[in-house]
Amino acid sequence: MQVSADISLQHGDASQRERAKDRLYVLFQAAGWGTSLGFAIWMTIAFPEHEASRPLSTQIAYLVLWAGIGFLLSHFLRPLMARWRWEQLGWRALVPRIVAASLAASAVWCVLLYGFIQGLIGEPWPRTHSPLMLLVVCWFNYAFPIGAWLCLYFFYHLFDRLNRSEIERFQLMTSVKEAELRALKSQVNPHFIFNSLNSLRALIDEDPARARKSVTQLANLLRYSLQSGQLETVPFEDELGVVNDYLALEQVRHEERLRLRLDVAPEALRLPIPPMLLQTLVENAVKYGISPRSEGGEIAIVARNEGGALRIQVYNPGEIPADGRGSSTGMGLRNAAERLRLIFGETATLRIRADRPSVVVAEAVIPLPHHS
Amino acid sequence: MKALLVDDERLARNELRRLLSDFPQVEVVGEAANAKQAREQMASLKPDLLLLDVQMPGETGIDFLESLEPPVPNVIFTTAYDEFAVKAFELNALDYLLKPVDPARLAAAIERIPCAREKEPARHPRPAVLESSDKVFVREGERCWFVEVGQIRLLESEGNYTRVHFGDAQPQLFRSLNAMEERLDPKFFFRANRRQIINLAWIAGIEPWFSSGLLVQLKGGAKVELSRRQAQEFRDRMSL
Repeated sequence: MQVSADISLQHGDASQRERAKDRLYVLFQAAGWGTSLGFAIWMTIAFPEHEASRPLSTQIAYLVLWAGIGFLLSHFLRPLMARWRWEQLGWRALVPRIVAASLAASAVWCVLLYGFIQGLIGEPWPRTHSPLMLLVVCWFNYAFPIGAWLCLYFFYHLFDRLNRSEIERFQLMTSVKEAELRALKSQVNPHFIFNSLNSLRALIDEDPARARKSVTQLANLLRYSLQSGQLETVPFEDELGVVNDYLALEQVRHEERLRLRLDVAPEALRLPIPPMLLQTLVENAVKYGISPRSEGGEIAIVARNEGGALRIQVYNPGEIPADGRGSSTGMGLRNAAERLRLIFGETATLRIRADRPSVVVAEAVIPLPHHS
Repeated sequence: MKALLVDDERLARNELRRLLSDFPQVEVVGEAANAKQAREQMASLKPDLLLLDVQMPGETGIDFLESLEPPVPNVIFTTAYDEFAVKAFELNALDYLLKPVDPARLAAAIERIPCAREKEPARHPRPAVLESSDKVFVREGERCWFVEVGQIRLLESEGNYTRVHFGDAQPQLFRSLNAMEERLDPKFFFRANRRQIINLAWIAGIEPWFSSGLLVQLKGGAKVELSRRQAQEFRDRMSL
């Protein structure tokens, strides 16, 4: 749920950025070509040609045509370059392409402009130059505005990319920090530790042998939760041992309110799982299935090796609230699900569902190593 | 001093009982594993002191305390690791102990309990009038207060709730103003109008007001209007 929400958020962000970029592009195009046209018209009026063969209005109309063709050419260049992904090229690759594109676009420009004026309308060629000469000069001349346009375009992309990589760097840093924080949070719940120490102190007088055993179990659990964070996977057997220690400690606290059922296939014991996965599921089961119920209930752990995957199920009494679980569990389980997916890929799943009335099951499916 | 232990874990209760055995002035008269049992025990044992676990199945210790009819007995909260509760208590100097309980902290907490109650002959049958040293438990959001009735300047009706003004705070109490009025000592508390009850001990000044009413200013700044009828009653009461 959360994951898809994040993705759509990023999409929303990206589309907003695209719209902003489009607005900027329209603004630049209008300003650039408008200024060029204005300047050309001003030049024509301020410095009239010696042999003014055509009236001023016609000249201005031709200039408008000139700017219009330039505008359209640059406008169609943009999607082409986006398709060829030129903005991702380095300098060495980009410079010859800019030159070539400028010349090509400029050639089209000349052909269109003179084709229209001399060809269609039938204006005579000026007598001072041969038509070929004129075309060649224009070809080179018009390549400059296109080249300048392209340079501006790529400078913009360069800045945009620098900017964006900065943002991405920050996003990455944030996500690294988040991961570190989550790793800390995936350790054993402090509320449990202090409650256990409290019941342990009472146990010292009441049942010294059990108190000694509980100290060992608490030590095992703390050592495991501190050390296992560095491992990617642990054998299911190791985690199950620690979970048993944890449950024994919870039984010291909750006494007859916490009942256990263990149904683990022997072939499941050697399979790898992410550390603290079963622990997270069982801790949730105690938190939501046993702690809030005065009468307590049964927690069952079932593990099977089926269909090329390890299937772990943890049952606890309770209902799934319609609005999803409390925020803290949502967090713990989401982290566990994320870790599972990062290590084992998309085929690994973690789900919580109602099994039968008043029983909730958390189910993790982990593909076997040679299947993943 | 009669104490009732409320904690869902038997071992935690045992541990408290053992710790309290060092204090001859405290007699543990009962134990409860949840709020429901605690309510029953409260009715029959009438303890002077509650040692109350915050996290329990069903109602939390704070929910339970809020549901009690005032006056509430002295309360020491116990909690293993509950950042929010501890913050709420620290803000308002409610006494709390962190489990496993440090015996020195427990001794300090017990020492702070006023022993005036011990001299009281018998508790009034309920509902009785609250005395100014009696305490009311109020919670708003994450903050909790034990308020001495005498510290309350003003009570204002807000539907089924009553806003209680004392010190710098004005949280809501989940009781109607009428229900509160029945429990308040008429020597100190006066019904100023349909919505407000004032504590006469907190009056700073009185001015005549429109149509033979009165405007009463309380220490702390609040101003309360008395209608003509209430003003008449006020004059009758206050004049010798």
